Parts: sequence; C-alpha cells; structure tokens
Amino acid sequence: MSIQKTSLHEEHLALNAKMAPFAGFDMPLQYTSVKEEVMVVRNAAGVFDVSHMGEFFVEGDDAVSFVDFIMTNDFKNAEMLKAVYSPLCRDNGTVIDDMICYKLGEKRVLICVNASNIQKDWEWINTKVGQFKVKLTNKSDDYSLLAIQGPEAEAIIKKAGILGNQDFPYYSILETDFQGEHLIIARTGYTGEDGFEVFSSHAFAKKFWKELLATGVKPCGLASRDVLRLEVCYPLYGHELNDEVTPLDAGLGWTVKMDKAEFIGKSALAEYKPKYQLVRLSLEKGIPREGYAVLDSNNNIIGKVTSGTMSVVTGKGIAMALVEKEKNPKDKKYLINIRNQNYEATFHQKAFITGGHK
Amino acid sequence: MAHNIPTELKYTKDHEWAKIEGDVATIGITDFAQSALGDIVFVELPESGRTLTAHQTFGVVESIKSVSDLYSPVSGTVLEVNSSLPDAPELCNAEPYTGAWMIKVKLSNVSELNSLLSATDYQNFLSTL
Repeated sequence: MSIQKTSLHEEHLALNAKMAPFAGFDMPLQYTSVKEEVMVVRNAAGVFDVSHMGEFFVEGDDAVSFVDFIMTNDFKNAEMLKAVYSPLCRDNGTVIDDMICYKLGEKRVLICVNASNIQKDWEWINTKVGQFKVKLTNKSDDYSLLAIQGPEAEAIIKKAGILGNQDFPYYSILETDFQGEHLIIARTGYTGEDGFEVFSSHAFAKKFWKELLATGVKPCGLASRDVLRLEVCYPLYGHELNDEVTPLDAGLGWTVKMDKAEFIGKSALAEYKPKYQLVRLSLEKGIPREGYAVLDSNNNIIGKVTSGTMSVVTGKGIAMALVEKEKNPKDKKYLINIRNQNYEATFHQKAFITGGHK
Repeated sequence: MAHNIPTELKYTKDHEWAKIEGDVATIGITDFAQSALGDIVFVELPESGRTLTAHQTFGVVESIKSVSDLYSPVSGTVLEVNSSLPDAPELCNAEPYTGAWMIKVKLSNVSELNSLLSATDYQNFLSTL
C-alpha cells in the first residue's frame, strides 16, 4: 500500500514540518516545537490537519436507529445536531474502534473514525446493515478535516465568517454554506479545549488553512495532539483501546448503556467481568512510555503503560496504564519500571489537567 | 537545514561529539541530534567512576515523544558529570556544544580516537541521511 497524503501535504513540507507515517498517511508530527504547540492550544489556539480521519455517512429511514445499534452509547435519545462519542464493538464486546457520531438529521448521520481503522470499521459496519433501511457511504477520501482548538478558537472561526452568533454548544454540529462551499462544522476535538472541526472539500481546506496561518493561527502537529489528549486522559485506539479489550476494561463503562433495547455486544458485555482497569499515573522523576511495566508496592508486575509522555503543562511524566483488575492494589500505590529501575508513581483519580472546553 | 558542526571537535555516526584534551574527552550530543529530537525534557547520565566502553550506552536523552540512548564515542572512566544538566535538559537544545556537555571521560585506549569522524566527515555523513 502506498503512503497517502492529505490535501495539505505540500503546505506541511513548505513549513518544514517533521513528517512521519501515521495510519498510512505521511503526517506532520511537529512544526516548531511540541512544547510551543501544546501551550498555544491550551492558551490561545492552534490548527491541526486531521484529514486522515475517516468519514462515513449513514442515510435513510433507519439512520439513527442503525447508528444506535452499532454503538454502545445512546444515540437514539441524543438531541438533533448533537455529537455522541462511543466505542464500536464486536458481538463479543471487544473494541473495533472508537468514534464520534453526529446526528445531522433524522435520516442522516456522520460517523468520524480513526484513520488506522477506516477499512476495518467500514467492513464491520456494512456486515451489520441487515434489515435496517440505510445507505452507507465512505467519504473518507473526499473530505479534508481541520481542527481549530483552543480558547480562542471561537473568536477565530467567527472572524473567518464561518460562524455567526447562533447557539452552538460543545459537542454539537451544524451544516452551513460558506463561500459556495458546503461545510460541516463540529464543536468537538481531541485536546480537552474548546474547538471546532471543519469537514470540507480539499480545495476549501487548503484555502482556509492558508487564511488561518496568515492571521497568526499556529499550525500544530500530531505529537502535540497526542500530548494534549493524554493530559486530559482521552483514550487512543491502539493504546488504551484495542481488539483485545472491551470498553469496560478501559474506563469507558460510562459509554455502555445497558438499558438500551439492543446493540452489538450487549449480551456479551452484560456478562463480562473486566480483566483490566485503566489507571492514571504520574512521576516526579522520569517519563513513562508505552510498554513500561507497572508494579504494585511489592514489586509484582500488574500491568503496563499504554500511553506515556512528559506533560507540557505539569512538567511531569504522565501515563495511562492498563492493570489487571484482580491485581489492582487497594492502597493505590504503584511503581513504574524505567530501564530496570522502579519509580514511585502518583495515582490520579481524575485527568491530569482539566481542559477548558465548554 | 544547516547544522552547527564546530571544526575542533570529533564526531560519531550516533551524533555524539567529543572534545579531546590530552587523555580526556568531553562528550555531548550534536546540534543535528538536538534538532532531530526536538524539545529535550529528560537527561539521564552515569555516575562518576563508571567504566565506559566505546559504542556502548552511557545514558539517555528523552524528548517529549521519544527516548534515545547515548553512546560513548570512547572507552574509559567517567571523571566528571554535568550534574546541572538533568535539572535543565533544555540546555541540550540551546547549547549542545557548551552548556550541555554531558560527561568527561579519561581515555583508556587513545587509539580509538582514530576511528572518530572529523567535522568534515560528519558533515558528509549528515548529507547522506
């Protein structure tokens, strides 16, 4: 398979971004400095090219009930023009992907999925159509996606003229025609900050990207995006979530609505006793990394780090880790092994920082 | 992008530099290395007195997103460690050849110096990457 490029690939090269393959795309990891890119999103706003993400449309009389059926979360009762985050599970409850589903209308839903899982998700969802009256289209190649994230994102998008003064709360979506282009704008993101994701044609994305940069919005890469999501403890597929675990292993019990009539994985999840528990740990010294062993205070290995980094905001090493539920210590005392040395970790009940989203 | 490669230093293909004064080598990472790594946020260095073997690891530098081993250009004994560097890892980005020196090593095999790269050799090596 050849490596794919987003519509902004040339722009990234012209900006001298550090590029790397990610989910089959040659993507910008950073432009200037990961630290700067994290802080600009926390304190002002930055723009990310996340056009690698996948977009599926579900249309037809049963669009809403079908999406409700394939997800573990509740889509049916979500208000019109709302976004709902959910795992996408197999019949046995294991996680195929996580996704955001947008209720564009009674008969029209947009599903945004991880780039690495587009093909897997698409095939799975298609096998589940059965009697549902829906038409599925995979528009992943047709859409560019820019994420403008940070406390100043609202002012930026209003200044660009894309958004007026309409009510547009966090985790909702709207469609608008702007400069002859049809745009889908979601007030969602993966940073913990307020922000917008703009689904558009490739041509519009190129124009809009240049316009944003010309007005001083800083381009930010996937490295800072990963730090941003980890500081607020958003899971990432392939790390906290994977083909082997269920949502109940990964701290996503809140997204599994057992009172729903029927959904894929319901009976398996009803019986399932979680094997793992997701924990949040920080270190005073050292940086936890994916794969490092997590131990209890008696030096028994109980799990491993699924994502780790240096937090730019706190200046400490931070990690999410999956530990075996049966071995999870009641005293909440954990160690992380770094290069054959054990470091005492601090357990966090909540995310390392609270993002500023509304 | 052009990188700073001082002519008076010796280099390795692992992107360490060595400043040779008599039988003592001062060691750090190159401007290319710090630029490739990005924001360096963690440095782990050996204790004084440790014996090092050329091409073996003597420590670690970490950027926000990556971990990189440090390889000693020479064999010998660690005489002195830049103990302020772990508290100010950002110096690796700002002053790779001065403030961010890492260790001083008393050479145990001076003939190893012949295998180190000159500034010109290192420049040529970088252009192949």
